[in-house]
Formats: sequence, C-alpha cells, structure tokens
Amino acid sequence: MAQDSVGLSSDYQFWIQKLSVWKQASTLETQQDTCLYLPQFQEFLRQMYEALKEMDSNTVIERFPTIGQLLAKACRNPFILAYDESQKILIWCLCCLINKDPQNSGESQLNSWTRGLLSHILAAFRSDIKEVDLFTQGLGYAPADYYPGLLKNMVLSLVSELRENHLNGFNTQSRMAPERVRSLSRVCVPLVTLPDFEPLVEALLTYHGQEPQEVLWPEFFGAVNEAFLLKKICLPVSAVLCLWLRHLPSLEKAVLHLFEKLVSSERNCLRRIECFMKDSLLPEAACHPAIFRVVDEMFRYALLETEGAPEVLAAMQVFTRCFVEALEKENQQPKFALKTYFPYASPSLVMVLLQRPKDIPQGLWHRPLKRISEMLKEIVEDETQGSSGGPFENWFLLAHFGGWADIAAEQLLTSVGDAEPPEALLWLLAFSSSPGDGPQQRAQTMVEVKAVLSHLGRLLRSPTLSAGNLLAAAEESREGDPRPPACQQLTRRLLLNFLLWAPGGRAMARDVITLVSLPFPASCLSLTAQVEDGAD
Amino acid sequence: MDSLLQQLERFSEVLAVSRTTHVSTWDAATVRRALQWARYLRHVHRRFGRHARIRKALERRLQNQWKQEGGSGPAPALGLTNFQALGHCDLLLSLRLLANRALGDAAFHYLLQELFPGPGVPGAEEGTLQGSLALLARRRAAVHMLRSSAYRENPVLQEDSLMKTQAELLLERLQEVGEAHAEGPGRFLSRLWEHLPHNNFLKVTAAALLLPPSSPRHQEEESELGNPRRAGERGRELLHWLLGKSEVIVAFCRNLPAGLLTSVAGRHPEVSRVYLGLLTDWGRHLHYDLQKGIWIGTESQDVPWEELYGRFQSLCQAPPPLKDEVLTTLKSCKAQDGDFEVPGLSIWTDLLLALESGA
Repeated sequence: MAQDSVGLSSDYQFWIQKLSVWKQASTLETQQDTCLYLPQFQEFLRQMYEALKEMDSNTVIERFPTIGQLLAKACRNPFILAYDESQKILIWCLCCLINKDPQNSGESQLNSWTRGLLSHILAAFRSDIKEVDLFTQGLGYAPADYYPGLLKNMVLSLVSELRENHLNGFNTQSRMAPERVRSLSRVCVPLVTLPDFEPLVEALLTYHGQEPQEVLWPEFFGAVNEAFLLKKICLPVSAVLCLWLRHLPSLEKAVLHLFEKLVSSERNCLRRIECFMKDSLLPEAACHPAIFRVVDEMFRYALLETEGAPEVLAAMQVFTRCFVEALEKENQQPKFALKTYFPYASPSLVMVLLQRPKDIPQGLWHRPLKRISEMLKEIVEDETQGSSGGPFENWFLLAHFGGWADIAAEQLLTSVGDAEPPEALLWLLAFSSSPGDGPQQRAQTMVEVKAVLSHLGRLLRSPTLSAGNLLAAAEESREGDPRPPACQQLTRRLLLNFLLWAPGGRAMARDVITLVSLPFPASCLSLTAQVEDGAD
Repeated sequence: MDSLLQQLERFSEVLAVSRTTHVSTWDAATVRRALQWARYLRHVHRRFGRHARIRKALERRLQNQWKQEGGSGPAPALGLTNFQALGHCDLLLSLRLLANRALGDAAFHYLLQELFPGPGVPGAEEGTLQGSLALLARRRAAVHMLRSSAYRENPVLQEDSLMKTQAELLLERLQEVGEAHAEGPGRFLSRLWEHLPHNNFLKVTAAALLLPPSSPRHQEEESELGNPRRAGERGRELLHWLLGKSEVIVAFCRNLPAGLLTSVAGRHPEVSRVYLGLLTDWGRHLHYDLQKGIWIGTESQDVPWEELYGRFQSLCQAPPPLKDEVLTTLKSCKAQDGDFEVPGLSIWTDLLLALESGA
C-alpha cells in the first residue's frame, strides 16, 4: 500500500502540472497534448479513486491537500469529460470529498464547493446556449430531455456538410475548410466510443478532400482503430477500409491484434479461427490489393520468424480462404488483376491454385493436382529462371492454399495399395513439407514416402493390423534407421491421413492418437476439424 | 388503475418539490423513498408503454396540468410533463436533487451513495442511473466541444441544428397540449410569447413551420397508439395562432430575415398573403423626397426602402407560385396608383423597376 501511494504522489505532481498547462484545452497544442494522454490520465483517476474511497473526507484533504485543484482543473477540460469513463471516475472522486456531517465551517465550505463542481459536470456549459436553455425551460423540458436530440441534430448536420463535399466537386464556396475538418477529427478523438458519434466518424473516414495531403489528424485514426479492435464502435466495411488505407499503422495493429487473439486462445479449431478472421474484417478489406499485400507481408514475416509455426500457417490458410470467398462475393468481375495480389507468382499457377476443390468432382482432382505439381516443379527446379522467386516464395504461395497439399495426401492414401502412387503427387507432398531440399534430397524423400505407402498398403491387407504396427510403419525407415525430421513430419502426416481416408483407418484412429505424443503438423488441424465435423 | 394514477400525481408533486427549498426538510429516508418511487414509475413506463389504453389514461392525467389557466411563470409544469418523461423520471429527479443547494448534507451524501455506487458489473452500466448520468455529462461535453471547435451556425436558419431542435421540441409540446385541450395550444403559445425573448421565439416558430411534415419517430409512436391524424398537422395549431395574433405576425414579418420569411411564405400560402399585405401596407407609408431622390418614411418605425426592396427581391427569387403572386400584387398596386412608368411617382413602379434591373 505504501509503495502504491509513493507512486501515486509522483504521478499526482505530474498530472497537476499537465492539467495546469492544458487548462480548458482551447488551443491546438493543448488539445493535441490532452488527446495523447487521455488513457493514462483515466488510469491515474482510477488509481486515485481506489486510494480515496478508503479514506474519509478529512483524511483525503490531509493526504492530498491540492486535490480540489486537480479535480477542478480536470472538470474544466471538456476533452477529459468527453473521454470514455473519465467523467464517471471524476464524479466518484468528488463523492469521496463529501462529508456526511460537517463539523465546522471549513468542512461545510468543502461540501459546498464539491457540490458546485458536481453540478458543473452534470449541468456543465450551460451558459453556452442560454437562449436555448430559456426556451426549453419555457416549454417545460429539462436538458436531460433534449440533449440527445440536440446532439443527434448537430451530428447529422455535420455529416451532411461533409458529404456535400463529394457532390460539390469544384464548388469551393460550400466546401468545408480543411482546417475545420481537421479540427473536427481532433474533437472526435475522445468521443469515438460514443454511439451518437458513429455517423460522424464514418463520414470523416470516408471524407475525401481536394488536398493532396491527409487532412485528418493521425491520432483520430489511432483512436478509431483502437475502438474498432475492442469492439467499442460499429463501423461498416467501407469505413474500415478507408481507415486502413489512409493509416498504415492501424492496419498493422489490426493484423497484430488478430495474431494475438489466435495465439492466446487455448485450443483453436478451424471454425473458431474462421470466426475470428471474418470478425476482424481483414479478408473483406483485403479485396483491395494494397491491404492484401500488407497483410500478406505480415504473414510472411511471421512465418519466417517462427520458422513455419503451424498456428501461423493455419491462420494464413484460413485468411486466404476467407479472402477468396470475399473476392467472389464482391463482384462477378474482379476489379483488380490477380497479379496485383500475387505479383511474384506465375498467373496461371495462381489461377489453378484459386480453384476450389469443392467445385471439382472428386474423381477429377488429380488433374489440377498434376498441373500444380508440374508447374511448381518447373519453376522451382529450373535454375536459370530467377524471376519467380526462389523455392520459398513458391512454397509460400502454395502454403496459402494449403488445401491442395492435403488433397494430394488424401488422394495418395485413398488409393494406397491399389496402384503405383503418381510421381506428381509425391513431388508435391515432398515440396510442401520441405521446400529447401535440392532435387536429390527431394527424390530421396519421395522414395521414402513411396515405401511408407506400400508398407501401409500391405498392413491394410494383413490380418495383424493394429495401432502398434501402424505407428511402427510410420516411424521406421526402410533400413530400420529413424528418418530425417522433415521426412518424419511428412510420414506422420501421412499416417493421420491414413487414419482418415484409408478403408478401415478410422477404426484405428483413437488407439493411434492415444499412442502418439508428439505434435502433428499444421495441416492436420484441418484434418482434425474434418474428423470433428464427421464430414468427408 | 386509479391507484396508479394517484401514484403518478403524487410523484409529479414530489418531482416539482425537488426543485424547491422545501427539500431542506428531507432526510436520507425521504430521498430513498423518492428514488424508489421514481424507479417504480420507470418500471410502469416500460411495462405499459405499448399498452394503448393505460398509456392514454396516464397521459391524460399528466396533460391535465396544461389545462390550468394563468400560471405565473413561463413554465407552468414543474412536475412530469408527458408520458415519455416517465421513462427517465429517475434521471430527472436525481438531477434536480443534485443541483438543489437546499438539500441537507446527510441527505445529499445518501443521494450520492445511491446514484454513484462505484465500479461494479461493467455490462449492466447502460441501464443504471450511474450510467445515464455519466452519459449525460459526456453528451454535454460533446455538444460543447462541437460548438467551440467545428460547428458553425448554419446560414440557412431552418437547418441549423439548435433551431431545429428547439422547433421539434415546440411542436412536440404543442401536440401534447393540444391533446389535453382543444384551445390549449393557443393559450400556451400566448403565454410563451409573454415570457420568452421574442427574437429567438420568432426564429424557432419559423423553423418549426419549415420542418418536414413528420419525423419518423413520431410516425412510429403514432402508429403504435393508433393515432394517424397527427402526421402533418403539427404545425397547424402554431400557424393558426400566429396568424391570429396581429402583434406576433407583424413582429414575425418585420424582424425575421428576408430569406427565412420567403421560405415560410413559400410553404404556407396563408402566411404569404398576410406578408404581402403587410409589405404593401408598409410601402404605402413611404413618400418620395424630391430633393434626395429617394423614398423615405416619416416615422421611426417605418420600414425603410432598402429593407422593403430586399424583401421583395428575396420573394422574387422564390419558386413559381409565390413569385408570380408577388409580381401580380406589385403590378396591381402599380396599376391602382395610376400605372406610371416614370420613377418617383409610385413606389410600386420604382420597386418593379429596381427588381427588373437588379434581377
């Protein structure tokens, strides 16, 4: 407790000074400065209240003799009163000063003063519109009756002024001066979370002046973004799109916020990831190539930093899926060429990858798979071609559409034991699990996989099929030595696919999963989801 | 039903008292009872809001106060004024008590404890009194900030938000008063005219006459109550009163800006008739000063030429029915005077000449 109060005392000095400088926040500089400190000041007020509520009125004055000054100055700053819950916390602090039973004139005076200040907060700024007050009083209305309506009318009037600018074009007279628009965006900073202000926030975000530079105040974007991410404001996609296009840091924060949400949840099934993803509005916004590129870049960094963490991979795949859905929903004819979204990839490859497996009959899946495999093989193994990025770029592209690698695995396992597994599918699987391999290493992997497949095929037909031998088949290599780790991942994945797709595999599923203690690769998330759904 | 009505009246009294010095006799227990009462009535509002019969009965009882004649101040009603007010009567009571210096310290302390219990369950905030009071403070700060930073008075007066808000309130109140008693609106307006600053009152009247026929909110409420005739009738009583009081209509036509009057005249032909009548009357008071070569009046309250011209010019810029009416009037006045073409003989000739050259 003692330590807290020491911290509080030093903060107290800091804030009293700040408030003295800000006064009523009537100049540009004081407004800007106030807006920067609003959240911290609110936090300080909360701490003050926690300290004050334990004391009685006299102790408060002993402990903080200048508390009156602090509170009075805060009450005169409209930005503070307008922000979030600050007005409420100020009222709480003032309540702590009221003495139930004043013993002397000093205490009575304090009471009187405090009551005056409370009145001021709740009946503030009356002198501003005296005529209106008189008139409404004459009608028998109290401010509580008409303030909501007045605010609504003011907001509507400002919104229509902002919107008019679009229609007027070159009519300079009726356009709102840029300084006024800027000033308006500054005023909105503490008020972004007030529901009455939503139309104004939207109108500001979608406002396009004639000036080449940004006319809105940067803190405004930050405040809107913060409120949007915490779900304290409801904005249509078009407004959010404008926000992110005009203010890059907001977009980056939005993506990071999404990452945090995905990483911090305990167990993320696909459906939940998809929910978070759609909620964030990022897939819809990404229909605009500039936004897509930024988000993509962030996924790329995340993958590189985490060395291909399965969570990031899964998130990216869900994002891409939602993005494609949004693209298709938006319009029949895409507004932007594919190349704007994937500038480093071959357009024909992208076209094939974009196809939805759901739209293709299962029997014909081998065709696009073969094409993808062939195209990738050509790009990756052709050393003379430097333009389409190295193996990582192409793997990155493929990773967006993770479904294809899964399908390749599925195809291999549904037909296990029947015929020779197609080289193209093997290549695709090997590439997707370790893109950095040289051609020889990859060939080796493909051989290993083939061996595992045939082993699994034999096991299927044998009467001694059990969880134990399945695992053994997956873990050991042909020669009996343990496989290289990348290969191990792949075989484990094959095993899981086997459990899902091979005839009789599902029966073994529970046993195998209980025996396995090591984590499964990322794409298995989608597979486990399918098991959960009972879909096929 | 009867007991409910009694409760209503008694609470209305309590609410009226809460603003007076009588509260100095209140202790914490009294405050508690008053707040409980308010909470109960708020519950009544929620419960019976859609129940047409009960709501009507409650409204009628509240409207009784408007029937009372005389009344010393501009605001006859200190208690509950309409059914809607029931919906936040606890807020009204709380605000009055908070602002009332006569309330004793102990009672005030109790009031604060009740109204501002401190941080609790965050989700339930919106419905609580604490939340509503904080929201009110926040909204007031918002209005202040908008006004001092970015807001400009709209040159088109009837679209200015302050004017519009006052106009909407006026019409709302008139409707309630009218429902209580057929002659209510007239008396009510006369009383307002006596006690409120004229300039603002006239502007608000003009704005009210220019409001769109019916706001969506009203339509919704009316359809709920099965009261379709209200839509579009709101300005009628106001207009009727305005035209009936010569003192008011003269001030209306004299003091309001030309553009505003043109809009009103355009919307309400009865007003245009009276306005034109007044303008012609004022024109006849001017005579031509041969030496100075201008039209001047003899008395101080005569409308000067510039103003007369300005008003006619504005009227001639109005869309067809009004514009034609004005020109016809001017021409017939000119004809009555002898149909001169030479300036200086008939003010109507001169006006027409000036308008043609100016346009």
